[in-house]
Amino acid sequence: MAEPILTINGVTKDYPAVRAVNNLTLSINRGEAHGLIGENGAGKSTLMKMLSGLEHPTAGSITFDGKPLNLCTPAEAMKLGIAMIHQELNLIGELSVADNIFLGRERTTLGLVDRGSAETAALKLLNQLGSNVSPRTRVNRLSIADQQLVEIAKALSCEARLLIMDEPTAVLSERETTALFRVINQMRLHQGVTIIYISHILPEVRRLCDRITVLRDGQYVKTVEPREADDAELARLMVGRDLGDLFPQRAPHLPDTVLEVRNFFVDGWVRGAGLDLHRGEIVGLAGLVGSGRTEFAEAIAGLRKRRSGSVSIIGEPADIRSPIDAIRHRIAYVSEDRKLRGLHLDLSITENSTLANLPTYGFPLLNRSARQAAANQHAQKLGTRCSSVRQRVGSLSGGNQQKVALAKWLDTKPNVLLLDEPTRGVDIGAKQEIYQLIHGLAAEGKSILMISSEMPELIGLCHRILVMRNGRIVGSLPGERATESDIMHLAAGLRENRVA
Amino acid sequence: MIQDKPNTPTAPTFRWSDFFETWGGLIAFVALAAFCSLFPGTRDHFLNPENIRNIIHQNSFIGIIAIGMTFVIISGGIDLSVGSMAALIGGLSIYAMNKVIGGMESEWMGVVAACVAAPLIGMGLGLINGLLITKGRIAPFIVTLGGLAGYRSIILAMADGGEVRSSSMNLFEAISSPRNGIPLPAWHNAAGDQVSMSITWPIIIFLLMAVIAQVVLSHTRYGRYTIAVGSNETAARYSAINVDRVRIITYTLIGLCTGIAALLLSSRLNSVGASNTGNLFELDAIAAVVIGGTRMSGGKGRVWGTIIGVLILGMIDNVLVLADVSTYWQGLVKAGVIILAVLLQRSRSEN
Repeated sequence: MAEPILTINGVTKDYPAVRAVNNLTLSINRGEAHGLIGENGAGKSTLMKMLSGLEHPTAGSITFDGKPLNLCTPAEAMKLGIAMIHQELNLIGELSVADNIFLGRERTTLGLVDRGSAETAALKLLNQLGSNVSPRTRVNRLSIADQQLVEIAKALSCEARLLIMDEPTAVLSERETTALFRVINQMRLHQGVTIIYISHILPEVRRLCDRITVLRDGQYVKTVEPREADDAELARLMVGRDLGDLFPQRAPHLPDTVLEVRNFFVDGWVRGAGLDLHRGEIVGLAGLVGSGRTEFAEAIAGLRKRRSGSVSIIGEPADIRSPIDAIRHRIAYVSEDRKLRGLHLDLSITENSTLANLPTYGFPLLNRSARQAAANQHAQKLGTRCSSVRQRVGSLSGGNQQKVALAKWLDTKPNVLLLDEPTRGVDIGAKQEIYQLIHGLAAEGKSILMISSEMPELIGLCHRILVMRNGRIVGSLPGERATESDIMHLAAGLRENRVA
Repeated sequence: MIQDKPNTPTAPTFRWSDFFETWGGLIAFVALAAFCSLFPGTRDHFLNPENIRNIIHQNSFIGIIAIGMTFVIISGGIDLSVGSMAALIGGLSIYAMNKVIGGMESEWMGVVAACVAAPLIGMGLGLINGLLITKGRIAPFIVTLGGLAGYRSIILAMADGGEVRSSSMNLFEAISSPRNGIPLPAWHNAAGDQVSMSITWPIIIFLLMAVIAQVVLSHTRYGRYTIAVGSNETAARYSAINVDRVRIITYTLIGLCTGIAALLLSSRLNSVGASNTGNLFELDAIAAVVIGGTRMSGGKGRVWGTIIGVLILGMIDNVLVLADVSTYWQGLVKAGVIILAVLLQRSRSEN
């Protein structure tokens, strides 16, 4: 019978305002891949912080490898063999792969760093992981997937026996995810590493993990085996209620064309892409990471220089060369990267919600109460959960941040919304709300282009799904009849039906 | 990890670090003023209205520049050129004034020429800085370091290392004279003598500009854009903000402030010393902004904080003189206050 490597016994963690983890009991078996799922605020990340020495339980005990775990710092956790790979990678871009792997534990000869032996050791680790990255490469030249392998190699080099991975596939393509899972399985087999795998993407968790534990509101809900529960059942356990249909009923759209994009070229990314959007239509844009989806949408919104291409709006040619032009033509682009591009995290909800539309709030002085009223109205309509619109956006959950990003662009009263990965890093309850919102916006007559890497949501929500590959639209599928394998075949170039 | 914060709305909890971040500057100001008023070595002179008026008057020149610096630092930039720029603008304005006085035989017209030239030259030089930073894509530190060396060099060459003297008899001097301005009602001091005093023009201009600047920062589109650009430039660009224009305006604005300060400063001395006028002003202005609670990396700040910062620096100078401490120690005391202010105001998010 499986023996536990980690036992969590009645652990509670209190913060000044909230009990983040409540009397949690859980055991993880040696060598297993254990999925951990739950909505935002379910206590996953607090639990992980306790395991990696960043936080200490208020009550209860944790046993690791038969010994009570009493950590004070992350370095101590590492010494015991607990390594954590965060969603945001902790690598130093300017240093080489080998330097990163042995950072803080440099191998030295006579006080000087011994590059050669570090590189040999790094090469061996990378080979074990089936990677052909050179240890001398600078990390910022690597793809995100390769950087993640470097993180894993770093964990292995410290002889990690428990590897905690937090949303590792959020920024990976399908193919990279498959490769990562192969590496994870190899590590379990050959090095006997135990994995705790946190993710919002339920099919992946079910594919990788031996057992899945669901947390809700800081409490243990249930541990299941993947074959015992399908995605809907897991979602129900996470949310604590029946979600019903995740996607709203598809409503028909109007026939008139709102946006026509023709023959777009963007250096290095887009090679002759075009599309049409009809009034009230939701069009999905699928494609692998690097297929040029984001760059195409950014070019439409005037955020990226295009070499050629034309846009017309309701039949009228529109020359969009800057985001200001885009707003004038009632086109809005909501970025996939909320932290860096989409939002000002240290500014308030009001500030963010009205920032793109400030010219309409008065000159020379801005009307503060009008801005607050607008922010309140958006928060109400979108169901943003906040204590007040003066709250800093950075203190909101991912789903609520996404709603503020949406509010900012709805404030410019767009006819066309380009939504880039609108549900990334958002938990399932909030996802459902965002689907409802998108559906509602289309029902109001707005035309929506939705870029997503999650095929089920494209299939569930869109009237039409365009597939992009190598900077071109290579296929168009009707939403209600598309399958994931149709989309994948087109996206990977196994089949082609050129359109537009 | 931002998205794993609890989902439920929670009212922000009180934290001392937040409190000090907001009010640290004001507390330091009040504490220092209280100390100066009670300390036996200084209390007799410090609270004297004329002394207080003089502190503000003497620091209004730096203060006006510091107002512009507040915007520059909030936008995520820095301007090291303001000291040299002040000397150059002052020198050029006096040249212009002397030319007009010589050619038109009118002192009035000469002084008007200087008053017009100084702000315009300031805006022009600021615009050049702004264009080099945005269109030339050179870091603000480098561009304005160049200005620091370059502007000083121009005025040194023009004045042959010496002074640029105004040929105005007394009209130009009148602008910054401590005797002019808006007179306060006379009163009797402790000794029973009748005392009268004016709020000088530099003080009035300084405070007026401060009020306008705070309103611009808090309540206009440009002000909010400046904060947005400093807080996250990429997100600002994605929010349809013309980032280059905001930054160019910001450097033009500090140029304008420097121009006005330069005019008042050269009026105060009725001359410009090519090597010493405005020397190290950039550091005092930056120090005032930082003491005032503006975040060095941008995205957060306030004009009223800067004003307090200016007054704190002014009080330190003043009280050390009153207490008969060697001027050589002034730098050390200022250094201590700057570091202390930043320590108190360090926010959690930056830790």
